Amino acid sequence: MTSLPGPVAELRGVTRRYPGVVALDAVDFMVKPGEVRAILGKNGAGKSTLIRLLTGAETPDGGEVHLDGEPFRESGHKRVHEAAQRGLRAVYQELSLVSSMSIAENMFLGAWPTRSGMLDHRGMEERAAQAMRRLGLHLDPRQLAGSLSPAARQMVEIARAFQGEPRLVILDEPTSSLAAAEVDHVCEAVRAIAAGGVAVLYVSHRMNEIRRLADTATVMRDGRVAATLPVAGTRTEDIVQMMLGHAETVRPTHVSKPGRILLSLRGIALPPKLHAVDLDLHAGEVLGVAGLLGSGRTELIETIMGLRTPTAGAIRVEDEIVRKPGYKAMLRRGFGYTPESRKEDGIIPLLGVDENTVLTDFARVGHGGVLSPSAIERATSGIVERLHIKAARTKTPIVTLSGGNQQKVVIGRWLHARSRILLLDEPTRGVDVEAKRQIYDIIRTLAGEGRAILFVSSEIEELHQVCDRVLVLRDGVIASEHVAPAIDAERLLAACIG
Amino acid sequence: MTALTATSSPRSLPRRSLAGHMNEFGLIAIIVFLYVVFGLVSPGFLGTNNQVNILRDAATIGIAAWAQTLVIVAGEIDISVGPMVAFTAVVMAFLMKWHVPLPLALLGGLGLGTMLGTFAGVLRAVFSVPSFVATLGLWSALRGLALFTTNALPVSFEDNETLDALGDNFLGLPISAIVMIVLFGVFVFVSRKTAFGRSVYAVGGNANAAHLCGIDVTRVRILVFAISGLMAAITAIMLLARLGSGNAGAAAGLEFDVIAAVVVGGTALSGGRGSMLGTLLGVLAITVIGDGLVLYGINSFVQDVVRGVIIVAAVLLNVAVSRGSGRRTPN
Repeated sequence: MTSLPGPVAELRGVTRRYPGVVALDAVDFMVKPGEVRAILGKNGAGKSTLIRLLTGAETPDGGEVHLDGEPFRESGHKRVHEAAQRGLRAVYQELSLVSSMSIAENMFLGAWPTRSGMLDHRGMEERAAQAMRRLGLHLDPRQLAGSLSPAARQMVEIARAFQGEPRLVILDEPTSSLAAAEVDHVCEAVRAIAAGGVAVLYVSHRMNEIRRLADTATVMRDGRVAATLPVAGTRTEDIVQMMLGHAETVRPTHVSKPGRILLSLRGIALPPKLHAVDLDLHAGEVLGVAGLLGSGRTELIETIMGLRTPTAGAIRVEDEIVRKPGYKAMLRRGFGYTPESRKEDGIIPLLGVDENTVLTDFARVGHGGVLSPSAIERATSGIVERLHIKAARTKTPIVTLSGGNQQKVVIGRWLHARSRILLLDEPTRGVDVEAKRQIYDIIRTLAGEGRAILFVSSEIEELHQVCDRVLVLRDGVIASEHVAPAIDAERLLAACIG
Repeated sequence: MTALTATSSPRSLPRRSLAGHMNEFGLIAIIVFLYVVFGLVSPGFLGTNNQVNILRDAATIGIAAWAQTLVIVAGEIDISVGPMVAFTAVVMAFLMKWHVPLPLALLGGLGLGTMLGTFAGVLRAVFSVPSFVATLGLWSALRGLALFTTNALPVSFEDNETLDALGDNFLGLPISAIVMIVLFGVFVFVSRKTAFGRSVYAVGGNANAAHLCGIDVTRVRILVFAISGLMAAITAIMLLARLGSGNAGAAAGLEFDVIAAVVVGGTALSGGRGSMLGTLLGVLAITVIGDGLVLYGINSFVQDVVRGVIIVAAVLLNVAVSRGSGRRTPN
C-alpha cells in the first residue's frame, strides 16, 4: 500500500441540538474503507441524528462532517443530493419504494438510464437483475414494487443501495422485517461489498448478526459515543451495560396478587413473525412484552385483537375459546386497544377531547342514537379528572394537546367503554418524561382496579417501572420470562438482543 | 381569548369561539356584498318575487347539499346527484302516467333513490371502489337510462292536485323552500347530536382510528350515500311538482352547484371538517350568484365563467380569512 487509506466519513466534534434536547454532544466518529461498523444505542441515544448528519439531511450546529476527507460544500436540501453523489447510500426502516413502479424503475429512481433520449428499459432491467442476484434475489425486475412482500421490498432497497459506486452504505435495522434465510443473504452481501472497499454502517441490536458481520461496534448513549470497540472479544453484557449506563434509579417494583386468568394464548403462530407463543394474562396484572423492532410485538397484539388471523393456536378469554376472532367481537368481550401510532391510528385530530373519549361507546351517553351533551360532558370530565388530562375544555380539539395528554385520552376512551383487558402498544412513545411517569401511575391504578393490562414497549428501562411480569419476544417466540422484583433492564436487554 | 393554555401547540385550528366562525362571517359578508351589487345593477333583484325565486332555486340545490355535506365530511364525494334527480323524477312520472296512486309513486321514487345511493355506498364501502368512480359510473348510467326511457322527451301525466299543491306556495313561501328549511333542521340535529352524525365526522377525520374505536365504518359509509340518494329523490319530487312532468334533462349539472355550495361553505374535501350552517350559506351564495347573473342579463355562457371565478374567489377569500384568524389566536 502506498499510503494509508483515509476515513470514508468522519464527524469532528459535531453537536446537534433540537428544541429542549441535545441530540449529539461534541461527537467524534470515523469509519474506514472496507469496515463494517455496528451502531447500537437505545431510543434517543443519537443514532438517527448521526445518520441524518452523514446523509446530509441535517446540518450540525457545531463541528464538521467530512466525506472522504472533504467537508460538505452544499447546505440545506442540496446537501442530501451532494452526499448521494459522493457515494453515500442509506436504507431506512421506513420503506421508500414507489409501489406503482417496477423494481427496475425503483432501482434507478430519478436517475433512469437513457439511450438516445428514451428510457433504456432493457439495460435498466439487466442491471437491476444483476444487482439483485448479488443478494441472492431472483425476482423479475419488471414486477411492480407494490406486489412484493415487505421482506422482498426491503431486499430490493438494499440491492439499490449496493449498486453504482457506493463509498459508504448505511443500513438502518435492515433485517427487522426479514426471515432467517434472507438475513443470511444480507449478511453475505454486506461482507462482499465491504471486501470491495465500501464502508458499511449497520444499525441493529441483534447481537448474532452483529457478531457475524461487523468488525467494530460504536455504542451510543445520551447523545455521545460511549465506546467504539472491536466486536470480537467483547461480551454482550458489556455492550448492554454501555447502552444503559449506570445511574439507574430503581423504583419500587410492583408485585400485585394476580387474579384469575382473563386471557390465555396457546401455540399462537403467525408465520413468519410468530411461532408458537404461549401467554397468560391475569386480572390485576401488568404484563410487559419486550422485544426489538421486528420481533413480533405488534403482530402479537394485533393477533389477540382479531386484526390478524393466526395459522395455529388457541385464544381463550376467561372460559370461552375464541372460535371466530374478529376485532369487534374482541371489543365486545371487554378488550381495549391503543395502537402504536397515535397519530395514524389513535386520535381523530379535529374532534374534541370529549368526542375522542366517548366514541368507543356512544350508547352510554345517549338514548336511541341521540346524544346527550350533558352526559358526554359528565363522562369526559370524569375521565379527564381521573387521568389528569390537561386540556382547557373538554371540547378542545385533541390535536392541540401534547402527546402525553393525547395518549391519556386514547387510554381513557377504553375506560369509558369499561374495558377489562387493555392492550397498550408503546403507550409512552413520543411522550415527555413527566407524562411518562403519569402514564405509568395510571396503568398501575387501572391494574389495581382489577383490569388486566398487556404493556408492549421497546423501551427496556420502563418495563420494570410498571410491570409485574415481562415476557421477552425474540424471533417470534417467548425467549424468557422475568417476574418482579427480578426484572432488570440489563437482563431484559441481553435477552432481547440475544 | 383564554381558550388555550400551555398544553396546546401553536397550530392554527378551527375553534368553536368567535374565531372559529370566521368562515361563516366571511360568507355572510360575501352574500351581503352580492346583494348590494346585484341590488344596484338590476332593479328587480330585491323584489319579493325574485326573493321567492331565489328561495325556490336554493331548495333545488340545498336539499341535496345537506346530504352532500355528510358525504364530504365522511371523506367521500357523490357526483351522481344531477342524473339521480332526473332519473328518479322520470320514474315517478312514468308511475303517475300509469295511474299508480300518487303516494305510492312518490314512495317508489324515494325508495329508488335510497337504493341507488345504497348501491354506490356498497361499491365504496364493501368493494373499495373510490367514491368518485362509483358515482361517476352512476352519473353516466342514470343519465343514459333517463334519456333512453324518455327519448329525451318530457313524460307528462294527468294533473294531480296534491302534486300541484307541492309546487305552490304556503304562507308566501314555496313549499320546496319550507321542505329545505325543515330538512336543514333535521340535518343540523343529525350532524351534531346523534351518534351517527358524530361517527361521520370520526370516519372522515381518521377512518383507521374510528374503526379501532369500534365504529362501523362500512355502515357509516353506506348510510351517507343512501341518505344522499334519498335527498336526490326528494329534490326530484319538488322538481316534478314544479315542472308538472318528468324530464330527463332536468337538474343537469346540479352536482356542480351542490358540491360548489358545500365547498364554498367551508367543508374540507379531505373529510372530517364542515358544518351544515356553512353549507346553508354556501347554497345561498351560489343561488344568489346564479339568480343575479340571469337577472342582469349576462350571456348565459359568460354566466358560467363569472360563476366559476366567483366560486374560486370565495373559497380563496375564505381560506385567507380563516388563516388570518388562526394566526391572531393567542397560544
